[in-house]
Amino acid sequence: MAELGEADEAELQRLVAAEQQKAQFTAQVHHFMELCWDKCVEKPGNQLDSRTENCLSSCVDRFIDTTLAITGRFAQIVEKGGQ
Amino acid sequence: MEASWSLPVSSLDATDPQLQQFVEVETQKQRVQLLVHHMTELCWEKCMDKPGPKLDSRAEVCLVNCVERFIDTSQFIVNRLEQIQKARPFFSESLSN
Repeated sequence: MAELGEADEAELQRLVAAEQQKAQFTAQVHHFMELCWDKCVEKPGNQLDSRTENCLSSCVDRFIDTTLAITGRFAQIVEKGGQ
Repeated sequence: MEASWSLPVSSLDATDPQLQQFVEVETQKQRVQLLVHHMTELCWEKCMDKPGPKLDSRAEVCLVNCVERFIDTSQFIVNRLEQIQKARPFFSESLSN
C-alpha cells in the first residue's frame, strides 16, 4: 500500500469515521424498526395514521429512556461496589 | 441481520474496475434479496390469517400496504432520531455503546 502523507492520512481517517457513523446510524434505524414495527403497526392501512405515528414516537423515546434508566442503574450498582 | 444492511463495499484496487463493479452489483443484489426476505416475513405475519386456496384480494391489499407502511415507518424513525440528535448532540454516542 502506498505511503500516505499526513494530510491524506487524516482525510482517510475522517472518511472512515464518517462512514462508521453512517453505518451506526443505519443500524440504529433498523434496530428501532424491529422493535417498534411489531408494537405499533397492527394491520397496515393505506397510510400511517396519527395513532401509529404517536406510538412510533413513543416507542423511540421510551426505548431511549429505558436504555438510560438501565445504564444509570448499572452505574449506581458499580459505584456502590455491588452492595 | 443488522450488520448485513450496511455492508461497505470493500475498497478494491482501482486497476480492476470490472471486478469492483461486479462486487458492487452483487452487493446490491444481496441487499435487495435480504430486504425482500425480511419484508416477506414481517408482512406474512401481519397480513396472512389462515392460508386459503389462493391469495385473496384482502391479503393482497394488505401486503401492498404493508410494504408501503414499512417504508413510511422507516422514514418516520429516521426523522425522529434526527430530531433527537439535534436536540441532544452527544446522546447518540451513549446509545450506541
